[in-house]
Amino acid sequence: MHWMDSDGEVYPPLRVLWITPLRALVADTEQSLRTPIRDFNIPWRVEARTGDTSNSIRAKQDKRLPTALITTPESLALLLAKPEARENFAHLECVIVDEWHELLGTKRGVLTELNLARLRTWTPNIRTWGLSATLGNLDTALATLLGNPAPPSRIVRGVVPKTVRIDSLIPPQMDHFPWAGHLGINMLPQVLEAIEEGETTLVFTNTRSQCEIWYQAILDARPEWAGLIAVHHGSLERKIRDWVEDGLRAGTLRAVVCTSSLDLGVDFTPVDRVIQIGSPKGVARLLQRAGRSGHRPGVPSRITCAPTHAFELVEVAAARDAFEAGKVESRFPVERPLDLLAQHAVTVALGGGFFPDDLLAEIRSTHAYRDLSDAEWAWALDFVTRGGEALRAYPEYQRVDVEPNGLHVVSNRQIARRHLLSIGTIVSDSSIDLRYVTGGRLGSVEESFVSKLRPGDFFYFAGHSLEFVRLKDMVAQVRKAPKTKNGQVPRWDGARMPLSSELADAVRNRLEQARMGVYQGPEMESVRPVLETQAEISAIPRHEEFLIERVKTKEGHHLFFYPFEGRLVHEGLGALFAWRISRHAPITFSIAMNDYGIELLAPDPAPLEAALDAGLLSTNHLGADILASLNAAEMARRQFREIARVAGLTFTGYPGQNKTVRQLQASSGLLFDVFMRYDRENLLIEQAHREVLEQQLERSRLGATLDRLSRGSVRIIDIERPSPLAFPMLIDRSRHRVSSEKLADRIRRMAAEANA
Amino acid sequence: MDLQIELQDEQLLLLPERAVYWPARETLFVADTHWGKAATMRAHSLPIPMGTTEADLKRLGNAVTRMSARRLVLLGDAIHAKEGRAKVTLDTIYSWRQQHKELEILLVRGNHDHGAGDPPPTLKIHCTNSPHIEAPFAFQHHPVASEHGYVLAGHTHPALHLRGLGRQRATVPCFYFTPNVGTLPAFGSMCGRALITKQPEDRVYVIAEDEVLGV
Repeated sequence: MHWMDSDGEVYPPLRVLWITPLRALVADTEQSLRTPIRDFNIPWRVEARTGDTSNSIRAKQDKRLPTALITTPESLALLLAKPEARENFAHLECVIVDEWHELLGTKRGVLTELNLARLRTWTPNIRTWGLSATLGNLDTALATLLGNPAPPSRIVRGVVPKTVRIDSLIPPQMDHFPWAGHLGINMLPQVLEAIEEGETTLVFTNTRSQCEIWYQAILDARPEWAGLIAVHHGSLERKIRDWVEDGLRAGTLRAVVCTSSLDLGVDFTPVDRVIQIGSPKGVARLLQRAGRSGHRPGVPSRITCAPTHAFELVEVAAARDAFEAGKVESRFPVERPLDLLAQHAVTVALGGGFFPDDLLAEIRSTHAYRDLSDAEWAWALDFVTRGGEALRAYPEYQRVDVEPNGLHVVSNRQIARRHLLSIGTIVSDSSIDLRYVTGGRLGSVEESFVSKLRPGDFFYFAGHSLEFVRLKDMVAQVRKAPKTKNGQVPRWDGARMPLSSELADAVRNRLEQARMGVYQGPEMESVRPVLETQAEISAIPRHEEFLIERVKTKEGHHLFFYPFEGRLVHEGLGALFAWRISRHAPITFSIAMNDYGIELLAPDPAPLEAALDAGLLSTNHLGADILASLNAAEMARRQFREIARVAGLTFTGYPGQNKTVRQLQASSGLLFDVFMRYDRENLLIEQAHREVLEQQLERSRLGATLDRLSRGSVRIIDIERPSPLAFPMLIDRSRHRVSSEKLADRIRRMAAEANA
Repeated sequence: MDLQIELQDEQLLLLPERAVYWPARETLFVADTHWGKAATMRAHSLPIPMGTTEADLKRLGNAVTRMSARRLVLLGDAIHAKEGRAKVTLDTIYSWRQQHKELEILLVRGNHDHGAGDPPPTLKIHCTNSPHIEAPFAFQHHPVASEHGYVLAGHTHPALHLRGLGRQRATVPCFYFTPNVGTLPAFGSMCGRALITKQPEDRVYVIAEDEVLGV
């Protein structure tokens, strides 16, 4: 079936849909799909559709989609929200979901499931392909992608596993190497050497700020590399990223400092070495990054880790152990997120409308919502049609309208526009475009960073030193600054990657060996003095022993607990410990945690022994205590930010937004408080709690951890100064708080201290 | 617990209800009530629960009754927006007004009032533009110094961030008095807040639940 477009070109309608998690991958995929199609003279049209797609191509696609379309889950949802969506997708034969492991375990994965269910309703015989890196649970990944009832399926594995070499850059002098930190710039000489050894090197950093800092540091040390090294991260303008990627492919770049923006996608053949700054925090991630190098036959993948602090050496040794033992992490799909369900219902109402029973059947065919209850579905319908049960008296409320025949549609154009602008699940601070005064776009930075800049301030971005000129209509205008000016580096919001449980296990084993005096391999030999200091000041905890350190500093009284279960479990455990101890006396804790332990800090000594006697580690009343503690630490309140945004309670706005929009803004924290007070039964509030419990706290692991800790012995050591293990938590500034004191008492004390 | 302060040789009471009472004139001041903010959001299909304006009015009534105030001065932004003038919201305010029939109410218009319009005449709220002068004070919405007297204003929703031993911190709404201008905390519970930076010559009083404390 052929069709001629306005340019006289003939091509079949949409047959193949390629879904990819990263916009950055789209251009490459487009190129690699075009080549065979051109070579074999197939009269297909291959195009991409993302937020980067130009208006003219969009307009053309709106008339007729190309034969093969490459897109992201969010852009696909936008296409499905068009009234003529069904006709547009009527000839679809095949869907390919690329990098499925990256989507699985996130709400974007659920969005993909919902999109697929929509497409399968229209054309039931679509063939689905999923492409995934190695996962501990490929079967779940498969089941999640296919939905119910599942068509016949199979898993095809790559034939030859690639040889992977994992090693570390060893700090020359361990006694000067920091116990904490995340920049790792003191490893610069070793990193420079490693770059010189290789032909083309990718330097992976864990954050965008770190990426900019490392690029500057390398350039300052090797000015002659100007033009041969580059920086690559997700906030950079597409054109800049394209230039870097082309240079990598052509082999004209010596090194690229990057973030996870280059984790995925098409291979850069010339890359022969990968350097990872800081711990990769998981085996799968380490392997993925290693796999970016060595794409020539017979050449192994090689990843070299540069530690940013001493204990990361243990993590690298442990990661190698876990890799050799074949322990790769699993990713667990998100279950029944109601915020996304509400969003999807509006999307479908826009895309031709729905009858509730039909849509319910379709939604239950996804893995994520297979157990969606009738009550939850009724709630979601109420939410989009009436605003929720509590609001029946509100005639003004109107998001989705019900026509006399029962068809649910969106008729209000303002609602439609707002919905299209906020589709998706990624929450970020509102971002501000960064442009030269003369007009060229550099990328984007977060509003919170720009709001702290004054005209004349300097900062680094995209590897340039820039002077901030002014903020105008959501655009930060800058000009190039003289090279000599030292500036700040933007901070982007980003969650800290927690240590996976596989890696946490492997770390515990390495520490147990160290306690016995066994230091095997270059990393462990190098970190030996630090672990010996730990043993001297405090102790290296035994396997079946729960170590608690107690120390007083000028900041107050600290307790350090060491369950070694990874950051996520510690987050919940920290709140639980703080809450349980605070039942014994009015006290205010600030809580820090990392992958090894938890710090509770208070102005006064904490009644630790009394709390231990009363069952600090007990699994009795665990459910109720966890709920109370996560409310006390305001964790559900924080989680609500994403939920409020996805469900359309808040939205980040858009360029040139008018006054009406500003009048509708309220912080998600404020909304959470309002719901807690006036509509506590709201399922979005319940979801916030559930998400904290299930995802953040990994409740089963938390219970299992308490069980393990309570079976062993507790060892409290009073120490004179913070131990190496305690140190990283001591200096951590991002903290939760739990208090059983009256607010007025806390304020009186803080005011007295300030005036002292 | 209320806190008595002296300002321009006048005695004022700072109330934890987020209000200021001037006993000499039997006058209660509040700023930025933003009535109907949740209703405005509902009218734009943001499903915010009902009850916020009602709870705020109850708190206002408490302050009026507790002080036996004869007059109430609203320092601007009484109603949040046009869309907030929903019948339910206006009915709620009206029935509150019926419980405080004798109370004289003056609104010094703020930026939101220009958009939302004056409260309906049935509420018997006298409206005026800034400034309204009653020596030694000038009542305004915007907290900018005035030649007509010491300014009592709102608009910015001031809050103070405090830090303490053990990495404690707290952000609380506050009354913020600079040498020329006194800014009241936002009365409406749906309001955001803006952090202030206290200068040595400023006086700041924070609201910690049911207490007002000097810091």
